[in-house]
Amino acid sequence: MTEATDLAERAGDRDPRVGLRAVAALRRLLEQLEAVQVRSARNQGWSWQEIAAELGVSRQAVHKKYGRH
Amino acid sequence: MFERFTKDAREVVQTAVEEAELGGARTVEAEHILLALLERQGSRAAFALTALGVAGAEKDSVREAVAEVRRRAGLSRADADALAGLGIDVSEIVARVEEVHGVGAMSGDRKDRGGWSGRRGFSRDAKDVLEKALRTATSHGDRHIGDEHMLLALTVRRGVSAEVLADHGVTYESVRRVLHGGGGEAKVAG
Repeated sequence: MTEATDLAERAGDRDPRVGLRAVAALRRLLEQLEAVQVRSARNQGWSWQEIAAELGVSRQAVHKKYGRH
Repeated sequence: MFERFTKDAREVVQTAVEEAELGGARTVEAEHILLALLERQGSRAAFALTALGVAGAEKDSVREAVAEVRRRAGLSRADADALAGLGIDVSEIVARVEEVHGVGAMSGDRKDRGGWSGRRGFSRDAKDVLEKALRTATSHGDRHIGDEHMLLALTVRRGVSAEVLADHGVTYESVRRVLHGGGGEAKVAG
């Protein structure tokens, strides 16, 4: 509670803590979004190759990350 | 490290794994340790939680708060506030994803039967809780790591569990107060 209030108060100044925190949160959000979209594509019958091409990564990378799930 | 865990602490670890399985999570997270602590009875952590009013309906309130955070991709309110500073509305994103992919889509949990059935590992966060529990015990001069040290570890780590606990009056200071305050008789058993 105090932490959230604290961050809200500091949002106006240039405290790097807020910006760094936002980056970390964004990364987490991105990871979940990617997982949702990859799962959805697989459910619709997309190949790893097709998914990798859209994400702009190698087929191996996306398969290694999500293949066993 | 585990050989120094009390029976209570080991049971928390086991229950945390079960909580992760029940929730369909792929890894055991710090929040699962919190949920496991809520299930304790007759332990040091259970005593502290009860003394701080986290019993009955209040426990349900903690569980609901944790579920809500998991639904928002595991982002705490402080995280969401930081993103709002960038003009990103987390709840709006979650709402849109859920419209298409169903409620809970952003939680990373799988409710379907085809979900992750392998052995669940502890996430980096969850491992950090166990390490902090060890450090907390050491700093207090306690030879064994009990479930109260796990509760204390959750309160000192930045993140979802500490935020939810603080909202329910459970902080490092308040836990220390009910465990050790007053008589000073509360040396950790064992």
